Amino acid sequence: MEAILKSDLQAKDTHAPAKSALFWRPTAQTGLVSWLTTVDHKKIGFLYGVFALFFFLVGGVEALLIRLQLMYPNGTVLTAQQYNTMFTMHGTTMIFLAIMPLSAAFFNFIMPLQIGARDVAFPRLNAFSLWTFVAGAVIINLGWFMHDGAPDGGWVGYAPLTSKTFAPDHSIDMWVMGLQLLGVASIAASLNFIVTIINLRAPGMTMMRLPVFTWMTLITAFLIVLSFPFITIALVELMMDRLFGTSFFEVSNGGMPILWQHLFWVFGHPEVYILILPAMGIVSEILPTFSRKPLFGYPIVVFSGASIGFLGFSVWSHHMFTTGMGTMATAAFALATMAIAVPTGVKIFNWIGTLWDGRLSMRTPMMFALGFVWMFMIGGFSGVMHSAAPADAQQQDSYFVIAHFHYVLIGGSLFALLAGIHYWFPLMFGRKVSEFWGKLSFWVIFAGFNITFFPMHFLGLNGMPRRTFTYDSNLGWNAANYIATIGALILGVGIFIYFAVMVYTFLKGEKVGKDIWDARTLEWSLPNPPPEYNYRVIPTVHARDAYWYNKQHKAEIAQEEAEHAKAEAAHGGIHMPHQSIYPFVASLGLFIAAIGISVIDHDPSPGFWGKKIGISMIGGVVMLAGIYFWALEGNEGYHLHPDDEGHAPTDKKAAQH
Amino acid sequence: MRLSSLLTSTARWGRAGFALGALALLSGCDYNFWRMDGHQSTIKVAGPVARSQLEVFYVTCWVTLVIFILVGGVLAYATLKFRAKTEAEEKAVPPEQGHGNPFIELGLIGASVLALVIIAIPTLEGIWYTYDVPEDRKADTYEITATGYQWWFKFEYPSEQIAGTGALTTGNELVIPAGRPVRINIRTVDVIHSFWVPKLAGKVDMMPNRANFLWLQADEPGYFWGQCAEYCGDSHAVMRFRVIALSPKDFADWVAQQTSPARNVTPKPGETPKAQFASLRTFKQNETGITDKYDVAPLEAWKAKQFPEKDENAALIAQGKTLFVAKTCASCHEVRGHGAAGISGPNLTHIGSRSMIAAGLIENNAEQLQRWIHDPGSVKPGNKMAKAYIDNNIKLTNEEEVALVAYLQSLK
Repeated sequence: MEAILKSDLQAKDTHAPAKSALFWRPTAQTGLVSWLTTVDHKKIGFLYGVFALFFFLVGGVEALLIRLQLMYPNGTVLTAQQYNTMFTMHGTTMIFLAIMPLSAAFFNFIMPLQIGARDVAFPRLNAFSLWTFVAGAVIINLGWFMHDGAPDGGWVGYAPLTSKTFAPDHSIDMWVMGLQLLGVASIAASLNFIVTIINLRAPGMTMMRLPVFTWMTLITAFLIVLSFPFITIALVELMMDRLFGTSFFEVSNGGMPILWQHLFWVFGHPEVYILILPAMGIVSEILPTFSRKPLFGYPIVVFSGASIGFLGFSVWSHHMFTTGMGTMATAAFALATMAIAVPTGVKIFNWIGTLWDGRLSMRTPMMFALGFVWMFMIGGFSGVMHSAAPADAQQQDSYFVIAHFHYVLIGGSLFALLAGIHYWFPLMFGRKVSEFWGKLSFWVIFAGFNITFFPMHFLGLNGMPRRTFTYDSNLGWNAANYIATIGALILGVGIFIYFAVMVYTFLKGEKVGKDIWDARTLEWSLPNPPPEYNYRVIPTVHARDAYWYNKQHKAEIAQEEAEHAKAEAAHGGIHMPHQSIYPFVASLGLFIAAIGISVIDHDPSPGFWGKKIGISMIGGVVMLAGIYFWALEGNEGYHLHPDDEGHAPTDKKAAQH
Repeated sequence: MRLSSLLTSTARWGRAGFALGALALLSGCDYNFWRMDGHQSTIKVAGPVARSQLEVFYVTCWVTLVIFILVGGVLAYATLKFRAKTEAEEKAVPPEQGHGNPFIELGLIGASVLALVIIAIPTLEGIWYTYDVPEDRKADTYEITATGYQWWFKFEYPSEQIAGTGALTTGNELVIPAGRPVRINIRTVDVIHSFWVPKLAGKVDMMPNRANFLWLQADEPGYFWGQCAEYCGDSHAVMRFRVIALSPKDFADWVAQQTSPARNVTPKPGETPKAQFASLRTFKQNETGITDKYDVAPLEAWKAKQFPEKDENAALIAQGKTLFVAKTCASCHEVRGHGAAGISGPNLTHIGSRSMIAAGLIENNAEQLQRWIHDPGSVKPGNKMAKAYIDNNIKLTNEEEVALVAYLQSLK
């Protein structure tokens, strides 16, 4: 192994100067180029976060428009078509462009730090994931600026409503290609995380010593790798139906619309856990830190996370109880769905066990984490109600479902992600959000959220179907809808306070030292913000809550680190990957190709260089060029020799060999 | 730092004020949403299928409520009990670093499984009961076929055959016999729709290429609200229908009336066409088409529609009858016996006897009917009639609209 590494890479290194004429090695540390070419997992994580928060605000505006339309019966804020576009884009945006990338931001930024690594396994692939995600997000939203409009087929895009017959314009094509790119991005990123977690753990960081957030990252990554191929297939089939007249879902030629639902939900249900497991991981970090004791029943929390992952693949048809599956299939999926409540319940028990006998500091991250436990519990209970298939026949596609999954996705995922931002903010930026403003935003968000979504349970039981742009005043829905809209406005104010304070803190907040929460996991052993190489000396892990252990055994750890530092220096210092523009070029190629496929009209006169095919081919060429240059530029990297205080030499060229 | 303590106490007051404000907000509105007794309530049910589904729901409700109180109680207690009250307490020596207790874990897992078994048993019973008509009731079952179109419902009665035309066909108002199980075949001609009458039964989707069905039964005669429950395009929200359950005798009368051809009205000699209502006013976007009078006693309103209006103008009706064919209405709509045999739109042979038009959206009266045929696209965005007007360059004058309305109203 060592022989291979040495012979190959070292040999190439000696020829490095000859290459530099052809391959551009960007070295910019600031400015646009530095962001486009970065391979640093922390910068990429930060960019994921920024994009996610931008789209979170876009999705939030869409949500407010939806609520304003429904504030009064027979509302006239939006037309039917605008309303349908709003809820389609709200769902698509929040799931794929807000919650998922926000989780990815934490995977990128925090996970390598937690396992004592200096970067992810494939830094350039990581950059490619980021830019491909951005390309997909842009394509999905392109319709706002076009005559065809943004997609309006619902976020589930049920066939045959998305077929050329019922949706002849390009909006669905953009939805298809956008999601396809997001799938590429997610799968590439997840493979990267899996390899990183399995291979780049610090010495002594055994699997059963991994921080729970890293465990949930690993499980989520596996879920993405296993579930996204299903939606990829579904989207390819839909694209072929729309572009080439195939008949996968085309009823008139014997296609099966039900096939779309099975493929979509085999992806879609694991997707639910892709959204919630990272949140559970974050909460499982915050509760022990602020209770100042270890997580209660760590192995059970980990295994219940894994079994949620497994069971998540066996319950997809509970989204289809009303499609007429027959008694046996309905019963089987109902029971499987109930079974998944057990590992989920176990997590809640263990979180409460963690609090028990602890010493709880009620700081802002803790408030959000406790809010998560409460709200997720309510969302879980309404989930159990859905698993009872006969009851679900009344609840399915009603506002009861809307209430349920917003309790899981806002009260669950989003609360945990907001908690995570507060929790890790001091580590990421060396500044801390004021407790007052943090808690104020929590209470406003908490109140607004419940005022919005709790009445929706009643609306659903009172027969209000979802995805309806209007309703009459005689159905008993007026008061609940009015309250929900007021709640949504309060929630909007809360989110505004949250982010206004965040931006203020980023620029001018109180500066803090390292480890302000007296935390338990390795990332807190780093100075803030962490240096580009993360760990000057790769840490050695002795216990599950590694940093907590280190703090109890300072003398031994210091001695150990000194020895390891010497050994690393003897090996040539800290090995760092080069920046590279080629991942961005490859993503750009994908973007151009996707534009060609989705937006450009069919050339009426068929020919090889038709506009549509031509642009798609150009995109393909750009992508291939990016990939080949990326492969041929090599991965030799450079070395850093930080001094004892951790200051790296400023001139990279000098350190290069 | 002093400022922050001031702000903290402000926050405490703010929180209290906020809670009070929320209470005021709640008490300001009417409380009807807690009662959940609307026309589409799944709680105030009117038939055995919906009742069985409601009973399962109540089981899940009680089980989860008990668990919520227990778990929530412990969580609230732990949060209050173990809270560090001062900054000094936060920084004090950490508590014992316990890692958990496998016996507690196993006990709680066992308890959760038990709770789920309590839910699972009625769930399984309910799945089989609600799926199809029970064996002992099969002989008494009445069969109907419901077909979804963008954005209306067609209802066919295979046991009521009409010589020369086939099964009795109506639209958007499903009339059923009360006290009898009704088995409904669920079909679609275009996209996925869903058949949902909350007070009678949970929904079943109308899937292309799939022979779905459901059963329901209305205990008593009554008038029930239904709505498409699967997103099906632009006008999904206004794809509604009604179910009217009648006593056996009323039902037989209704069948007899519906199976007869469309009503003919002969003008008296010398009668001139004269409108019986005010000319069209302008309607707001999405303006409701339902009056309080109808809403108070909808079944009575429906029954009143079964008889010819007193102030009919036969000459006007005759004019409308001619226009119905001349303006190509007949190419999409059927009026049996009047030479109109279109099939892509609802069957209008007895449209005058329905309480609602435009798929359960607006009341079937002269004003709303004229609103509908004057500009169908504004009532129901994207619908085929609006498109047909444009494609075939159909333009109606006010007089023509009035005549058509009178004609359609006469089709009892």
